[in-house]
Amino acid sequence: MRNPRTGWLLLSPTLIILIIFGFMPFLYVLVVGFFDWNVFAAEDGMRFNGLGNYRRLVFDDLFLHSVGLTIRFAVFAIVSEVVLGFLLAQMLTRKFPGKSLFRIIHTFPLMIAPIAVGAIWRLLVIPGFGPVPFVLDRWFDFTYQIGTYPDQALATSVIMDVWHWTPFVTLTMLAGLSAIPREPVEQAKVDGANRLQVFWYVTLPFLRPVLLTTVFIRIMDAIRTVDEVWMLAGGGPGTRFTGIYIWRVTSPGASADWGYGSSISLITLYLTIVLCWLLFIAISGRRKGEVE
Amino acid sequence: MRQRAMRTGTTVGFWVFMTLLTLIPIWWMFVVSMRSRVELFSRPNLAISRLYMENYSNVLTDSTFQRYMTNSVVVSSCNAALVMALALLATYALSRYKLVGRDNIFFWLITNRMAPPAAFLLPLFIMFTRSFRIGDWTLFDTQLGLILLYCVFNLPFAIWLLKGVVDGIPIELDDAAMIDGAGLGGVLRHVVIPLAAPGLAVTGILSWVFAWNEYLFAANLTSVEARTITTGLAEFVTVTGTNWGELAAMSMITLIPSAIIVIVAQRYIVMGLTFGAVKE
Amino acid sequence: MSDRQDDVGATRESPERAKLKSASERPGFLPFHTNAFDRVFIGVVILIGIHLLWLRFMEPALPIEVATVISLVVGYVVVRRG
Repeated sequence: MRNPRTGWLLLSPTLIILIIFGFMPFLYVLVVGFFDWNVFAAEDGMRFNGLGNYRRLVFDDLFLHSVGLTIRFAVFAIVSEVVLGFLLAQMLTRKFPGKSLFRIIHTFPLMIAPIAVGAIWRLLVIPGFGPVPFVLDRWFDFTYQIGTYPDQALATSVIMDVWHWTPFVTLTMLAGLSAIPREPVEQAKVDGANRLQVFWYVTLPFLRPVLLTTVFIRIMDAIRTVDEVWMLAGGGPGTRFTGIYIWRVTSPGASADWGYGSSISLITLYLTIVLCWLLFIAISGRRKGEVE
Repeated sequence: MRQRAMRTGTTVGFWVFMTLLTLIPIWWMFVVSMRSRVELFSRPNLAISRLYMENYSNVLTDSTFQRYMTNSVVVSSCNAALVMALALLATYALSRYKLVGRDNIFFWLITNRMAPPAAFLLPLFIMFTRSFRIGDWTLFDTQLGLILLYCVFNLPFAIWLLKGVVDGIPIELDDAAMIDGAGLGGVLRHVVIPLAAPGLAVTGILSWVFAWNEYLFAANLTSVEARTITTGLAEFVTVTGTNWGELAAMSMITLIPSAIIVIVAQRYIVMGLTFGAVKE
Repeated sequence: MSDRQDDVGATRESPERAKLKSASERPGFLPFHTNAFDRVFIGVVILIGIHLLWLRFMEPALPIEVATVISLVVGYVVVRRG
């Protein structure tokens, strides 16, 4: 009655679309990365270049710098989000007046388009009329100029990301916290554990799967951030993350060096896949000596 | 008793503070959208002195903006409809049929969602302008191109979300309908779709938002005809004098769908963003 | 996680059980369970990694083919023993 062929038929449109738009680009960069292909050169066409593009890539300081920046951005942002999100979720487990309203407002940034988030923050920090530089200058005598100081730009990106994504962590943590059974916590309290011990030995182990999943999704999203940071700082110093760098190098208007662009794309995919896979191993709990 | 009241007070106070942190940036954008160019560069304050609607009326009557808006609505809606249909079929297949390599297909699906879009821009641009060509027509700068392309990140998420829903429908119901003489279409229409309707609606809504919010692909794979509202926002920022008031007005307009969705589908956002890995 | 603590305790108490358990696992040196696909994947990842590092640091001294040989050997070890 259930012929697998019918199953494949139902699955085929999905597979066809994903193969064309998801897998073929990958093959494309894989092949083109080994070629020299400059569209605006005298003769349009691909010339085999061996490892030439990669030789250039490993000495491309801008690229290496962008990878370092992306990692710093992701680490700062995600650590802050997890700590803050956990505290907020902890507070949401109690009952207090106006809770659901607070929660709805807190969720709001999640659904805003990244490009609009960038616009919101740009309006806040723009020199001339933005309130942030004004207040910092007037009250703290602090010169704030994200176009000039790379560290300030990076910090602003991190704060923007925290503003945008902490709600996500809060909501997943809340889901995880409400799924914790009461008995072990009560038992630990009866046994004389203090709050820190309860957290460390009871809450955290229960929370581990949700926490790892959340961190996994956040890392994968953070390292490919482009839109909001681009809108915030326009690729100025301190915010040239890998995604932005690739975008600038490979965007049709900016550069016609398609071979080199492909090799950068491929190496970025490589780094992403390795990271993704390591995290996946960590989450799926395939480590030896662990009870499954 | 008193201590508990204190604690509630602190909690509420803290949340009021957090809410202000969330809202002030948005409020400031609203303030900017209500000001003329001259007023903007005076001393910053957070109050709105008068109703100045010119930014909004300028944006809304601009034909370019209207085209961007139409494109965004068309692309997001068609994409959401397509994703709902394809994802339902795919999940049904994955859930009811014994297919070779089912689990590997699953893993491959999530990698599609996790891939950095920037790395695919160049090959997609080449494909859109050169590979998919019929005479003079290419996929570049068409709504169809974006509708199909957005499936790459929406389909994996939709399938992961719907998998749990379809798995939850007892297979006996399918069998009963089939014994009554229903074909595959009948089973889908009379058994699966009614029971999966809430999940399907959530999938559709969230796919719609993700498509609406997308910027990078739209910015690189369209030029004039099929540009969406997010690219329009980015276009405002130019080297020579950005019109901040209109930028803010346009951003405010793009926020409206997000606000509606947060209120309507609040409970399902987490499930959607974690591919159903975390449920509330 | 409380399970894990129990498990550690149990292992310490009865070495026989620990032996049994490790015998049921693959004796590979990688710190997690792997199947053939995983090991080929790791092999490819290492191959690319070695080549990139080689291009950056070693190329003036030794040609890139040496990196290929090294990574093929490492890849073979990972696939067979990992």
